[in-house]
Amino acid sequence: MPVREPVSKVHVEPPASSKPTSGKTVIRALTNAAIGGTAFLITCVGLRAILPFPEIDGGVSQKFRFFAAHKDEFDTLFIGSSRVYFQISPAIFDRVTRESGMPTHSFNFGIGGMYLPETAYLLEQILNLKPRNLRWVFIEYDELQTKWSPENQTSRRALYWADWKRVSFLLRKLTGAGTEPLWLPNPAKLRDIMLRQNDEKSTRRLLAFYAAQFEKNYTNVAKAGDVLDYFLSRDTKERSASYLGAAGDGYVTRPNRMSPSQAAAYERGLAAAMAQTDEHALSPYAVEAYRQCAREVRNIGAAPIFLITPSTTQINVAPESTGLAGVLMAFNDPRTYPSLFRSSVRRDGQHLTKSGADEFTRTVAANFVELARAGGIK
Amino acid sequence: MSFVEFRFLWFFLLVFIVYWAMRNNTARKVWLLLCSYAFYAAWNWKFTFLVLGSTTVDYIVGQMLGYSESPAWRRFWIATSVCVNLGVLAFFKYFNFFISSASGFLAWFGLPASVNTLNIILPVGISFYTFHSMSYTIDVYRRKQRPISNFVDLSLFVSFFPPLVAGPIVRAVYFLPQLVSAKKFSNVDVRGAVMLFLAGFIKKACIADGVAPTVDRYFAHPANFTATSAWIGVLFYAIQIYCDFSGYTDMAIAAARLLGYQLPNNFQFPYFARNVSDFWRRWHISLSSWLRDYLYIPIGGNRGSRGFAYRNVMITMLLGGLWHGAAWTFVIWGALHGTALLIHREWIRLTEDLKWAARAMRWLAWPITIYAICVAWIFFRAHDLSSAGTTLKQFILFQGGGNEHFHRWLLLVIGALVLIHWLNSRRWFAESWRHWPAPIFAAAYGCTFAVVLLFVPPHYTPFIYFQF
Repeated sequence: MPVREPVSKVHVEPPASSKPTSGKTVIRALTNAAIGGTAFLITCVGLRAILPFPEIDGGVSQKFRFFAAHKDEFDTLFIGSSRVYFQISPAIFDRVTRESGMPTHSFNFGIGGMYLPETAYLLEQILNLKPRNLRWVFIEYDELQTKWSPENQTSRRALYWADWKRVSFLLRKLTGAGTEPLWLPNPAKLRDIMLRQNDEKSTRRLLAFYAAQFEKNYTNVAKAGDVLDYFLSRDTKERSASYLGAAGDGYVTRPNRMSPSQAAAYERGLAAAMAQTDEHALSPYAVEAYRQCAREVRNIGAAPIFLITPSTTQINVAPESTGLAGVLMAFNDPRTYPSLFRSSVRRDGQHLTKSGADEFTRTVAANFVELARAGGIK
Repeated sequence: MSFVEFRFLWFFLLVFIVYWAMRNNTARKVWLLLCSYAFYAAWNWKFTFLVLGSTTVDYIVGQMLGYSESPAWRRFWIATSVCVNLGVLAFFKYFNFFISSASGFLAWFGLPASVNTLNIILPVGISFYTFHSMSYTIDVYRRKQRPISNFVDLSLFVSFFPPLVAGPIVRAVYFLPQLVSAKKFSNVDVRGAVMLFLAGFIKKACIADGVAPTVDRYFAHPANFTATSAWIGVLFYAIQIYCDFSGYTDMAIAAARLLGYQLPNNFQFPYFARNVSDFWRRWHISLSSWLRDYLYIPIGGNRGSRGFAYRNVMITMLLGGLWHGAAWTFVIWGALHGTALLIHREWIRLTEDLKWAARAMRWLAWPITIYAICVAWIFFRAHDLSSAGTTLKQFILFQGGGNEHFHRWLLLVIGALVLIHWLNSRRWFAESWRHWPAPIFAAAYGCTFAVVLLFVPPHYTPFIYFQF
């Protein structure tokens, strides 16, 4: 712009000494860099230890705070996605078990859109609370999800669980590295990823995303907001009720049913899924992650129970529990459980209506009692 | 890849370690050149050919200008360089704007024309490296710079990664001499550079990205908000764009310094300017001085009549506005600044001998200037002219149509940021850390960075000036 004075004076070299760079200078620089790096890491670890549980949308924080405050009241816990959240009623479950002479007090820790690896992280945090009376933990059994929709990638929900245990599973799965504790990416898969060949078009982006999430998580990015939220945004009764449900047991009902056209589409989808005869087991990464969950559950003296919910996308999941170190209860077969797949009790392919959820809960409870009596849950 | 992403840290560490491990200056330059292209390729590798093409054309033009003494040939070669550079810029940045504006203009005359705009991706930083490159050929033409025969040197000057995508705009006469001799690590002011990087990081990642959601929410639907919220939205935007751009510049300067190179300063507390001329001596200094030296003075500058000089000011400011983006809002932003510059000149001329005016301006100059700058920012940020009009009504006439509002304590945030900025301009946070023992400084720096990360929002907002 029309300014009169010359603003940028040519300044070629900074005024500095012309000492040659000696070995001593380099060693000093490296030492100081190491000191700075160590101070950075120690501060990150220290901050991580004292920061409160993050404020996460979708009811995660509300449920976690509630459970932390009442942790010794519950002996049974359900954890998983919306297929647990909206489909397992602790009140009904407890009534059935009580009537069967095996009383329980259960809590639903289902969260909408929560899959492995988030489930595994949250379960670990819950178990770290050391709930003294917890005896049974129902964990939804599903594939390890590696995809995040771009619009959700910047949320705190996508960040808070990204510790090394979880991210390493994702990186191993994405790079085909196997489940051994010491792992290296599969060279052929790595080549495909680098060259964006075969099905690996978005894998590079996902790898970069998860690596960044891990770095952000360990360096406490954005956690100042959690401190502020911890002091300022105490839960109101209405807000808590919206996530914890009317009975305060973590279960929320979703009454709406499918329209006739949706029901017809559902029936077609169901028939197509049932027509497929090939069952598939979960990936070794998912199984290994569940095995870890089972170990952690057992460490506090509880028993893990894996749950395949009645969903059209899980119809062909093989109820294979070998190596899981826990019981697997599968409700994904429409032939065995036709009443859970009738369009009249479904909201969509994934979810049941309230009446369907009631029936599903009763079925789970009855199976649970039967298995426990038979000594099948250890 | 952006300076505030973790992957930049790993990238820079690699560049830094390998660079200083090398002894040979040519090897270092080749390494920096490769890294600069890799840095640019992280956005879109295809556009590296555009940078290479622009460099090649200007290299050839520079050589030809060195050989030819004939004024006609020299004019031909410089015209070639300007046409190619501005042609590429015009195609990628302004093609759709000109086409749709022409169509709108014809429709206004009752001659509707069916036009097709192209789906053109704007290469990141094209305005910046085009201006870098053009400064070389123009200076060679003016015989201020000798044509250089080393293609690597010219390529590195055009593509040097710290200022590549959002400035500061570096001139050949400033940068090319720095490539002559090998840098010595003992000459690098590491402490000053890392502190500057931290300052830039805080400005961008904590402040600019922190206020961005409020700004975005307001400017998405300005009509929904009250007048007070409009003030908060506009003032937050003024803070955002300053912290975003000057934060980038600080980090770019710091990264270059760590490699032994100097980049020109780009900001000098612009919001404390006491008039619009003063503002342009403090805001985006590298662009304002570039436009002054390569546009305003060549078209006549202050020479000739007052009207002629005023015309030159307006041309410069309008083109300066258009440089920022292909939209009428940017043109109006430039026009507002041009008008403000002319009003200021007239005011100075008319009140030269009036003591009361000088006394009044002692108190009023700063608020009037900052208000005018904020009014202009409305056009810079608004999605279109109609929403700019809505914001103007709220900001100037206090006519707020909507019920949505931001918390008033956000005004306190603005006050706190202004206070910190003012204290900084008074050098309150000046260089006491320079006297600390190096290990103490390193440890404090590490701890501070860890604490700063707590305040970085989880979402990354791209640098505003990347789109220019």
